[in-house]
Amino acid sequence: MKLSTGDRWDLIDKISKETVTFGAYKHTLKDAIGELTVKPMTGIPVAIAIMYGFWSVFGSFAGFFTDGFFVRLFDAYWLPWLQEIFPGQGGWLYAIMVDAGGIESGEFVLSSNCLESFGVLTSGLFVAVGVVLPAIIIFYLMLALLEDIGYMPRLAVLLDTVLHRVGLHGYAIVPTVLSLGCNVPGVAATRILETKKQRFIMMTLLAIFIPCGAQIGIMQDLMPNLMGWILLYLIIGYFIFGYILNKIVPGKAPEFLIDVPPYRRPLLSNIGKKVGGRVRGFFVVAIPFVLLGCAIVGVLYQLGVIQFLGDALAPVFVGWFGVPKETAGPLIAAFLRKDLAVAQLDAISDLMTPYQMITAVVLVSIYFPCVATFAMMLKEGWKELLGALAVLTVVVFAYGGLIHLIGILLGVA
Amino acid sequence: MKILLMGHPNVGKSVFFNRLTGANVTESNYPGTTVDYTKGWMKIEGEDVEIVDVPGTFSLNPKDRAEEVAVAMLHENKDAKVISVIDASKIERGLYLAMEIIEEGYPLVIALNMRDVAEDKNIVIDAGRLERILGIPVVSTVAIAGEGIKELIYRIKDAKPVNVADIIANAANASNTESAADAGGAA
Amino acid sequence: MAGQSPGGTIYFAVLGIITTAFGLADLLVTASGSEFAYAGILVIPGDIFRGGWGGIIVLFAGLFYLSGIRNFDDIHQFAKVAMGSILIWVVAGCDIFAIILESIPSWNEETGPWFNTLPDFIAAYAPPYAPAVLLLPFSLVVIYYIRKRASEDGGAGIYHERNG
Repeated sequence: MKLSTGDRWDLIDKISKETVTFGAYKHTLKDAIGELTVKPMTGIPVAIAIMYGFWSVFGSFAGFFTDGFFVRLFDAYWLPWLQEIFPGQGGWLYAIMVDAGGIESGEFVLSSNCLESFGVLTSGLFVAVGVVLPAIIIFYLMLALLEDIGYMPRLAVLLDTVLHRVGLHGYAIVPTVLSLGCNVPGVAATRILETKKQRFIMMTLLAIFIPCGAQIGIMQDLMPNLMGWILLYLIIGYFIFGYILNKIVPGKAPEFLIDVPPYRRPLLSNIGKKVGGRVRGFFVVAIPFVLLGCAIVGVLYQLGVIQFLGDALAPVFVGWFGVPKETAGPLIAAFLRKDLAVAQLDAISDLMTPYQMITAVVLVSIYFPCVATFAMMLKEGWKELLGALAVLTVVVFAYGGLIHLIGILLGVA
Repeated sequence: MKILLMGHPNVGKSVFFNRLTGANVTESNYPGTTVDYTKGWMKIEGEDVEIVDVPGTFSLNPKDRAEEVAVAMLHENKDAKVISVIDASKIERGLYLAMEIIEEGYPLVIALNMRDVAEDKNIVIDAGRLERILGIPVVSTVAIAGEGIKELIYRIKDAKPVNVADIIANAANASNTESAADAGGAA
Repeated sequence: MAGQSPGGTIYFAVLGIITTAFGLADLLVTASGSEFAYAGILVIPGDIFRGGWGGIIVLFAGLFYLSGIRNFDDIHQFAKVAMGSILIWVVAGCDIFAIILESIPSWNEETGPWFNTLPDFIAAYAPPYAPAVLLLPFSLVVIYYIRKRASEDGGAGIYHERNG
């Protein structure tokens, strides 16, 4: 026997009258603080403080390991040792695995640090283990804390009004914040959005505009002064194209209510399990991809493919985006790993002005989702993926050109 | 035997799943942590039982893809038992979904989870009385702290399909005379 | 309920004024671009992150205190005072975390020991301190009031323990 919705509620009403007594509900301090974090006047300062804390701890922790220990370990010990013992200096295998070196006044010279060497065992390992690993450990730890305390739904409520102006629901912040750790769980989290339209917009925006923890980590280490501008360009792009997509994608974007759970004291065991699992995932998936990306770019350099592509696409790079043609190599690496691409861009920073560097890093971020995200989007549906790629192509050219134009107008490009 | 963990988003289904199966699915304090189902195994009195962590859903009329997964999971497993996880501080909403599942003829156990939160809000629930009215086991739990999990496992065998007419009758009886609320007619 | 804790009201009024002043000082110093030191105890950082954003948060903390002291015994008002302290804990906690991590490595690039020498390690913890760190001990007083409330309310509050 099935009841109608009304009858079902009547029955539940009756049952709850018999079994539940609601005592006088007295607000606890936890509730009152919970309310403060949701109301705009008090919630925005709290949100700023949380971001500040996140950023500060992230920077201190990553700097401690990377600049305090790993840079020296890799540059002063690991690189010279490998340069010494690896056979066939100047040969192609040596160039790919250890050091591509450089030519100075007609002579082959070895690189002085792990970023410039471009080798799988040097650059690749340094980027993966020396820079990105400490960054993502602390990033995931803080993200897990925010998740378990129960702050995320509150942030969603707080930002609901702002995000509604660009056609997104407040809850869009949850996939967005998750994407800052890694785009893959971010894309998966879009499933809680109600309509196809919302899901498509969200997925596309995440894949294009949200840099992952690995990329943020390497930017923080290599270009701390430029990172603010890079992130600003990405955030503005996220809102502009969110607004446009909401106007042109057919379908509905209905309201939905967010349940705000009470704050909870996070359990250490759960945090540990979560961070452990994600870091393990990094070792299993990301590190092989960084090394593979390094190898592929190395091979393509050796074969002259990258130089060829750079020359062939030079009009686009130089004319439209305003970046040197040498960015072709990092852009290919970006398909596999964005962190590696940023590291390779930094290695050729002599060729670029700061503004060109900002443009190049923004391009690396928006131009193509990394393989893992790509695979996740394919799982969500090939139609969505194709749509997202179409949007992406338009965005790369439109936004990349716009950034160049802004640079020209400001007189810095 | 197969057991589905069902309930609203963010009531602690994944926590139950991890405690029951020793698995390691993500637990977080926001609705929509689980967007796909996860399967795991546990032993109950020597029998291998498959447990499924189902994404949260508000009702059996799915509103998003995660809810579609949940409802499809229920309908694909006609012979499964269901642990209906209910946030004790929002019991009425939880009972709505539980009633829907009962009406479809599934044997059900109710886990009144987050008793601690309900206590914070000064909500008192007479679980024994609820059990007598519904005719199915009702266990109060705090899954995060592991409280009540053992009893829940022990009571799974008592889950049986019940007739909605019996529940209606029990509810009417209960409001007439306190003492008349016995186990009700056998379904 | 008003007037139950006149001591608390006065204490947090004073702390609120000082905190607000420190927050403003942070912002002014950051705007001037160079750091400011006073009497070997206080140093106000001049960089955009610690001075600018950190200063804004300290300023907010002061405003939270000041807006919470009126009718201090009301839970919603008291929550603002608690939030003021939490904001100071965030900024000061970050500063202290940074000091700890910076004190451990030697920061040598090529050769020499990996870790800091003991005297330098200890010296890293000597004053001067940033405003939030100086405010930290005074902000901890709020814990006393949280506990007092918790005992009066029979266990409800932020330090609520789950009972079996």
